[in-house]
Parts: sequence; C-alpha cells; structure tokens
Amino acid sequence: MTGSPPAPDHFDLVPDALLAGRAADGDTAAFEALARRHGPLMRASARRLTGSLADADDVVQESLVQAWKQLNTLRDPAAVKGWLLRITGSRSIDHLRRRKNHTALGTVEDSVAAVSGPAEGGNPESAALNGSRMEALKAALAALPEEQRRCWVLKQFNDQSYEEIAQTLNISTASVRGRLARARVTLAREMEGWQ
Amino acid sequence: MSTSGDTFECGHSLEQLSNYLDTGEFSDPGHLPDCPECQAGLASLRRLGELGDELVTADLAAAGNGTDDWMQSILDNLRLELRPGRDIPVHAGTAGDILTETEGSISALIRSVTDSHPGTAAGKCRLDGDVGTPGAPVTVRVDVAVVFGHPLEERAAALRRDIAAALARHTELNIAAIDVTVADVLEPRLQGAPAAWTSRPPQPSEETP
Repeated sequence: MTGSPPAPDHFDLVPDALLAGRAADGDTAAFEALARRHGPLMRASARRLTGSLADADDVVQESLVQAWKQLNTLRDPAAVKGWLLRITGSRSIDHLRRRKNHTALGTVEDSVAAVSGPAEGGNPESAALNGSRMEALKAALAALPEEQRRCWVLKQFNDQSYEEIAQTLNISTASVRGRLARARVTLAREMEGWQ
Repeated sequence: MSTSGDTFECGHSLEQLSNYLDTGEFSDPGHLPDCPECQAGLASLRRLGELGDELVTADLAAAGNGTDDWMQSILDNLRLELRPGRDIPVHAGTAGDILTETEGSISALIRSVTDSHPGTAAGKCRLDGDVGTPGAPVTVRVDVAVVFGHPLEERAAALRRDIAAALARHTELNIAAIDVTVADVLEPRLQGAPAAWTSRPPQPSEETP
C-alpha cells in the first residue's frame, strides 16, 4: 500500500460502512480498524462457543482471514458487524467439529467449565452478587447439551436470526426454535433462585 | 411458573413464548395479556434475556480491548494479501520498456489525499473507465465521510481539486470527472473525539440538529 498509514485511532469515528467499503478496495488499515472494533465481541462469542481461550483466538484469526478474502461479497457494507459475527459463529462450529475428531468429549466439557472461571472485577458493591449470579449462569450454560448451548450463544452473543443459526449449524429453523426454547427453559429454571 | 412440562394448562408452551419474544409471532396474541401462566413464562424469559445481556457485557469486558496485545498479535499473523486491482500503463522513457502502476496504488493515493483533509475520511473508491488504455477517459468516484460542521460543498470542491492535482502528478490517467459523494456526516465527540478529528477549526454551529 502506498501512502502513510493513518494513526490507529484515526478511524474511531468512521462508520462501519465506510471502513468496509475501503477495506473491500484493499485498504488493510481500514480492515484492521474493523477488526479492532469488532474483535472483542468475536472473541467473546468464540470463547463461549468453543469453550477455550486459545481456540477463540484461533477462530478470530481464521474469521478475519476469511472476511478479508470475501469482503467483496458483502452486499451491505453497513451490516459488516453481523457478517463478521456470522463468520465467527461458523468458524467456531468448524473448530468444534475438527476438535471432536481428535478429543474425547469429556475434555471438551472440562474446557467449557474452565472458561466459566472467576469473573472480572467491577462495581465493588454489586460485584459479589452479580459475580456469583453470572457464575451461576455460566455453570448452567456449560451444563446444557452442546447443540442447545450453540443455539443460545449464537442468538445471545451473535444476534443471529433463526435462519442464520439454522444455516450455521446445518439444522432446520424448527430445530433452532426448539433447541433455543429448551435451552431457555433450563437456564430460566436454573436461574430462578438468582432473580 | 411451571417448567416441569413443556405445555401450560392453557395449552401454550414456553417454546411458543420463546419464539414470540424473538419474532413477535404467536398464534393467539389476544390470549397473552389475560393468561397468568403465559405472563409468568414471558417474565421469566425476559429476566433470562437480561441476564444473557449481562453475560455478554461481562464476557466482552473480559475479552479485552481491540487495541490490546492479543488483537495486535492476531493482526500480525494475518498477512493480508494485497489487492492490486488492474494494471495501469505508464509511459516508459525507453522504447520496449513496460511500466505499470496498480489500480490499488491509485485508490490508496486518493484515500490518502482525502484523509489528509481535516475531519474527512475516504470510503469506497472507483476508477471507471478503461484504465488499461493510455488516454482513455476515466471517471473517479469516491465516497467520503465528513465530520458535522464542515461546509460540504467547499469540502467536496477542495477534494476534487486536490485529487485532480495528485492524479496529475502521480499518474498519466485522462481524468474525465471526479465524483465526490458525501456518504456520511459524522457526529464529532461521541466518545471523546480522537486527535485526528479535533484539529479542525471551531465551527459556528456546534449543536446537533
């Protein structure tokens, strides 16, 4: 690329659509700005889906590589955030499928539990209550059947529609509706004492 | 609420309510306000939704910032392949020599000229025309975003002038027109405006419409 790269914060105010447009033109700096903007949510989603911190970063990296290659297929540049999260969801599921072939299920469940580790700090007064309530939700989530957890995370973290989740998981929208509802019934029941 | 069975006594189920909250679709919407079981089910699902939002917020905070080392290391590993676009011939001093510049380098030049204007950022950029044929007319189309308060007409005129000058200096393209489209007017100081945007001169009207 010619021209001096802009300072990292140069793009802070620039909307997604504009950044996606110039990234599609080949501007790596604009693409990196998009990655920095949406990377944390991609990482958070991938962590919940894969249950592993290291895998999450691999997923984010793979997703960004795919996004860079396919940017010219993005019809609505303003929708780049949802598009990146859909890619992250698909790559996470791929990652899990590949890992399933190598690892016993027990190990996977263990690493899911490992992600439900101690919560980060926050407001000291409510941290204890909120912290333990969040711990309870993480534990309940980790105990869900895998397919239900995937549906719930893709809805809650990635904000995907039933159709998009169905596509990501390669199941019918009716299955998505059912699994999401069963996940919610279980989670709501587990969380009743924490309301 | 009853969570032991899938179906309430009223005949509806949490699955239907879960679907209703996501899509707004329900077979018998008139039933909902008067059914205590459905109301309790909806309340429970809504509380779970709020807890879910809390979890996303907590996980997002735990994921760290996009300016942190983890993201830098991911970006360092990406090695994004360049998109050079079309080859554009440049007159060679010696007969038999072939010189070209890439479309990508020219759009980068246009972005760089645009970004150098205060409170202005380039978006998509197009070179319309047969750039492979020397002398063929080429129209430049560039989207820009301008921070609120900058006079748009003047800015567009200044951009056209500077882009034309840069293209005349660095290329041999026969520029027929330069179309500058203001695709976005940006709101300054949303979350503490970065330095790049605050160097602009004070504007008479700072209030948002």
